[in-house]
Amino acid sequence: MKKRSKWLAIPAASALVLLLTGCTDQLVRGFLPGVPGVTNHTDRITGLWTTAWIILWLVGIIAWALMAWAIVVYRRRKGDTGMPAQLRYNNPIEVLFTVIPLILVIGFFAFTARDIAAIEQPTENPDVVIEVIGKQWSWDFNYVDANVYESGIQAQFEGQTGVPETLPALYLPVGKTVQIDLRSRDVIHSFWVIDFLYKKDMFPGKTNHMYFTPQVEGTYMGKCAELCGEYHSMMLFQVKVVSQPEYDSYLASLAAKGQTGQLDASLDRNQNLPGDDPEIRD
Amino acid sequence: MATLTDNRKSGGYQFPGKKSKGEIIVDWITTTDHKKIGYLYLITSFIYFLIGGVMALVIRAQLTLPGLDIVQTKEQYNQLFTMHGTIMLLMFATPLFAGFANVLMPVQIGAPDVAFPRLNAIAFWFFFFGSLVAVSGFFTPQGAASFGWFAYAPLSNTTFSPGIGGDLWVFGLALSGFGTIMGGVNFITTILTMRAPGMTMFRMPIFTWNTLVTSILVIMAFPPLAAALFALGADRRFGAHIFDPVNGGPMLWQHLFWFFGHPEVYIIALPFFGIVSEIFPVFSRKPVFGYKTLIFATIAIAALSMTVWAHHMYVTGSVLLPFFAFTTMLIAVPTGVKIFNWIGTMWRGSITFETPMLYSLGFLTTFIFGGLTGVILASPPLTFHLSDSYFVVAHFHYVVFGTVVFAMFAGFFFWWPKFTGKMLDERLGKIQFWLLFFGFHITFLIQHWLGVIGMPRRYATYLPEDGFTWMNMVSTSGSVLLALSMIPFLWNLYVTARRAPTVSLDDPWGYGRSLEWATSSPFPRHNFHSIPRIRSESPAFDLHHPEHASAEAKAAANEDRK
Repeated sequence: MKKRSKWLAIPAASALVLLLTGCTDQLVRGFLPGVPGVTNHTDRITGLWTTAWIILWLVGIIAWALMAWAIVVYRRRKGDTGMPAQLRYNNPIEVLFTVIPLILVIGFFAFTARDIAAIEQPTENPDVVIEVIGKQWSWDFNYVDANVYESGIQAQFEGQTGVPETLPALYLPVGKTVQIDLRSRDVIHSFWVIDFLYKKDMFPGKTNHMYFTPQVEGTYMGKCAELCGEYHSMMLFQVKVVSQPEYDSYLASLAAKGQTGQLDASLDRNQNLPGDDPEIRD
Repeated sequence: MATLTDNRKSGGYQFPGKKSKGEIIVDWITTTDHKKIGYLYLITSFIYFLIGGVMALVIRAQLTLPGLDIVQTKEQYNQLFTMHGTIMLLMFATPLFAGFANVLMPVQIGAPDVAFPRLNAIAFWFFFFGSLVAVSGFFTPQGAASFGWFAYAPLSNTTFSPGIGGDLWVFGLALSGFGTIMGGVNFITTILTMRAPGMTMFRMPIFTWNTLVTSILVIMAFPPLAAALFALGADRRFGAHIFDPVNGGPMLWQHLFWFFGHPEVYIIALPFFGIVSEIFPVFSRKPVFGYKTLIFATIAIAALSMTVWAHHMYVTGSVLLPFFAFTTMLIAVPTGVKIFNWIGTMWRGSITFETPMLYSLGFLTTFIFGGLTGVILASPPLTFHLSDSYFVVAHFHYVVFGTVVFAMFAGFFFWWPKFTGKMLDERLGKIQFWLLFFGFHITFLIQHWLGVIGMPRRYATYLPEDGFTWMNMVSTSGSVLLALSMIPFLWNLYVTARRAPTVSLDDPWGYGRSLEWATSSPFPRHNFHSIPRIRSESPAFDLHHPEHASAEAKAAANEDRK
């Protein structure tokens, strides 16, 4: 009993040390941005991330340690002459370092496949459907259910502070299942909300989807993550996760501004190409 | 150049009398000698390495602080990273492989030249002029190509990238790609048909094996690229609609491009694995551990590398994620086998740390970490967040810089006496190594964190609120150190050419194993005056250290004596 408590003391003490160092929260999350439970998927991703890193660090440390051991212990010392044993093969060892990685990989794949299925699973009858359209170099947000829209304008900045508040914002109600339809008016863009730990490409002529439930109210940075031309780095936006009443009043404010209807494919560029008729395409 | 041409005195090339400068130039541009063509590849690709490196420095300078204007427009910034990627992959790393393979592979199999010397020459000139065409976009009014080195449709069409630089990029790369394909065909034929008596396939040096496997990858991966480039060229110049969004063109381009692009990563990695596989045994004074295992691991990596292309496309929403995740993760297994075989080669050896060994160890240290982040990126749930972020940038620099650049310097220092008859300076080499090693890790380690907290790649600037500033400053300061590490090397080239004594030994390192160490330094015109008996995968070692030769080599030697 005493021995066991001794062994338990080591992780407990190291956990305490971590707790006291202050950056625990970040370290426990493997430096991923955001807070726990931002969306219904982020905890799953964080778990896979940290577990994968623990195992990979173990593998890496073993490899580096073996290398360091060889460098230090088997260095040719002053006065050494002659030749070491000319060993060519050692089958058991080679089988070992083939089979163990194979087992690790299969395990990692099992968890990966489980999480892909969960994250990419379409939500049936989502509470909110929003269409986000990428365009050089901003975003159009169509709130499909409420039939209102907001059209974003490209950010302009030269290193000054205070820009995030001026960015186009996508509003989402907290705790509601969301489906976002992603497409593009011109080139490929990619819709990345940093703290949601998820991005998906936006293609011209093809609609992608993402499904999630935002769970923590707050403002989150969003960026275009696929090179889309000169002002790629200024194609920024914000996501505001708000309560249902705030969400409703925001939608009402859009309607009050007269932004009813949807920004449809008639605004797409490249319409004069043969065969590129939006009516045929849709 | 002088170091490479002025080797008449040392018993290398036996020219009748002194040649005029014009004769020397004509000799070099009309040569079909595999070694000279190899040197042309090495020199050209190293110059492109320096050019691409200067572009990287401008990129790093621009990102030091938010909102800088080091480059006048963001369009110019896009041109810089586009051409940095293009140059480093297709004008530096790929021809660098062709250079090392051209100089060394025929010697390592005991052949006087490659199978098709004239094809070899035209392959080089295709690469030379193709690359020149691709980079010449900088001299046009709208500048060079700016759509990223993977030229995703429809950004790469004339609607969104109208400049002539884009056309030059497309057709220049197509031309240079044909050179690469011809090189691959040549290497395969040479290895299969021109091995010296006794040089069985399983006695070939690992570098030659990797050249063979790489060349097979070249002839599988580059034709799809050539086809895709010509199609893109037709879209741009002749109004074709092959990559039009209306017929799914953007995804078609991505599949074609990455079907080339992923094997390309291994095309530039495998030969450099080969280089360090030659170096570890020599400075550990032991044969390579698990020779056949290493070869099978190389073949496994090459085979798997043809099945993983869509792991660059996880966030497109149009690929079968579990399949590509599994094949990608599987690559970790043969790669791990290689790493443990290299460590096994050093295990219980008698290791010394001359510059080539130092660089090989630098490679191994760096590559292990690149391998770990590679496993992370194989997993789509994690890559949804990391894709197109600086985490990816950091990962591929660990893998590609760790492999190509570290192994290139290892190879330069290792084989310089065979190339020129002179040893590069060890002290300068070690100074350079430590500058390069710390410069590299300071520049790129921090970029993993930058990516994780949300910095996208290819961003010309960022916001102060992003919290990227101090990390970018660290990265930029590392890049300065990295750039400084080139100075001792260039100085080394100069002082070695001017002052270093000529080595008179076949094997100045003393423990060389493959055939190039059994002929004079520098190589004679047709590589060998006489070829030693080849009774194992270490013929030069068997020749110079017969008492330590492998059992089967000793047995064969006894058989001969009877």
